Amino acid sequence: MTLKRLHHLSAIELRDLFLQGEVSAVEIATYFLKRIQKHNKDLGAFLTPLEARALLKAEALDRKRSQNKPLGKMAAIPVAIKDNMHVNGEITTCASHFLVDYKAPFDSTASRLMEEEDAILIGKTNLDEFAMGSSNENSAFFPAHNPWNLKCVPGGSSGGSAAAVAARLAPIATGSDTGGSIRQPAGFCGIVGYKPTYGRVSRYGLVAFASSLDQIGPMTTNVADAALTMEVIGRYCTHDATSLDLPQESYLLSKELEPGTVIGVPWQFLQNLKPEVLENFQEAVESMKRLGAKIVDVDLDLLKYSIAVYYILATAEASTNLARFDGIRYGLRARQAKTLEEVYELSRQKGFGQEVKKRIMLGTYVLSSGFQDAYYKKAQKVRTLILEGFEKAFSKCDTIMMPIAPSAAFERGSISDPIEMYLQDIFTVPANLAGIPAISVPSGYDRRHMPLGIQFIGPQLCDVPVLQYAYAYEQATRHAKIPPLYVEDHK
Amino acid sequence: MSFNDQTLAHLKKLCKIECSPEEDRSILENLSRVLQYMKQLEEIDTENVQPCRHVLRSMLKNRMREDEVKDLLSRDKFLANASDQIGGMVRVPPVMKPQ
Repeated sequence: MTLKRLHHLSAIELRDLFLQGEVSAVEIATYFLKRIQKHNKDLGAFLTPLEARALLKAEALDRKRSQNKPLGKMAAIPVAIKDNMHVNGEITTCASHFLVDYKAPFDSTASRLMEEEDAILIGKTNLDEFAMGSSNENSAFFPAHNPWNLKCVPGGSSGGSAAAVAARLAPIATGSDTGGSIRQPAGFCGIVGYKPTYGRVSRYGLVAFASSLDQIGPMTTNVADAALTMEVIGRYCTHDATSLDLPQESYLLSKELEPGTVIGVPWQFLQNLKPEVLENFQEAVESMKRLGAKIVDVDLDLLKYSIAVYYILATAEASTNLARFDGIRYGLRARQAKTLEEVYELSRQKGFGQEVKKRIMLGTYVLSSGFQDAYYKKAQKVRTLILEGFEKAFSKCDTIMMPIAPSAAFERGSISDPIEMYLQDIFTVPANLAGIPAISVPSGYDRRHMPLGIQFIGPQLCDVPVLQYAYAYEQATRHAKIPPLYVEDHK
Repeated sequence: MSFNDQTLAHLKKLCKIECSPEEDRSILENLSRVLQYMKQLEEIDTENVQPCRHVLRSMLKNRMREDEVKDLLSRDKFLANASDQIGGMVRVPPVMKPQ
């Protein structure tokens, strides 16, 4: 009886049912693997289901439970892993032809920590190639679709993870967020997406896109599940030189908003919002007021430059990070190459999609002699100003609220102008530039019944408070729903 | 200086990426547009501003460790991902041509 509705449960509820002996880990794994099998053709959320690995782990968990051995914090919770994170012995493609056969020779720290806490890794999810994109249309294999309307994009780059969680093919997925790649798809698919403080989660085993901006985080159906995941993966790691050497935090959440909480809203920066998005955002601000928060206006007009800054810095870093894909040691090697030089040039031509090539070239251009001062150094300086802008804003408030994107999910193929596509990230990029934590929470639906989302942003290291604000908002409003197509149980 | 065919050809060399003529056209058009957009940064006065080298600033510490050889990845496991190998090493096309 309970089995029929496992996908209606949160990750924590699933774990507790397993711990209480109401359901076995094999039943849970089989249930979600069947949902993947049934729905993935339409959704394109997963690139590789990890059926054998998941069942093996589930059997081991059932044995552990029957022997009364201690079980981990994520016991029997199926977790989907974005396919730019390594899981030892499994393929990591980054949704690129370059890495079609690349078998990861080690674990990413985040996936290892979850597996050690007894999570069941259930599959690798689709993304924009090398995490470069805002719509999942740049996957080299097939695009993932939005579970609320299959004609619409799920957002990007963690679009497969967002679609998987929204359609309840897995209760938790990981994403990586360089300029909004966790939060924007979470917003588009009506789920929760959390980007931690830079350095809070180890980037070891995450295929690097832009190292000063990349951060791994959870994508879940609710805030408490995101907090649970953070408790497991938010740990110091010696394999990542930028990992924060701080004690582990406790992510216990309370429904109450702490009295005297001050929320900043950068009204001027938000002045050109679409009426529908503005209305939804204002409602969210009102909800926080009703919970006792004081709202103040903060000046962050400078953030209008964030897209320009971001696409200079991110592409510059990507151009160096992706130099390692040379066709020599791993990945695709063009067969027709006769000389070493041709191995590089032809392998990269065949292996990379157009958006990736474009970004490598742009990054190389802004770093090249003669242009470095005008582009790269200038962007680094404006980044300093953005950091200082946030510091000043946070001296007046505890958290900042913003919409997650200029609109709800758009239709596939409807945006062809690169700037219009890049501007999808205008509200998410600032948190990456400043290395600060930000969470996307469902805030309602637009006229087409597509999900809308808002975000709470906090100062560096305020990961727990940010989750706390989001939790209070979520508990008071409860906008998250299962998309109609995926409410029914599998046959 | 404008972004033209020559700039693109030079960039392709620096990046070691070949492109089809169609890709060339699309990339040229795209990059010109994006670089034009980035010009907006010129409006901002950054005269006495230090470039941001790292977002964690004061929290960032140098991590020093002993320089010692560790067995982190076995040769077999490493070579399993190489497309061509010979005698326990990665094989590449000849770098020097015979006279």
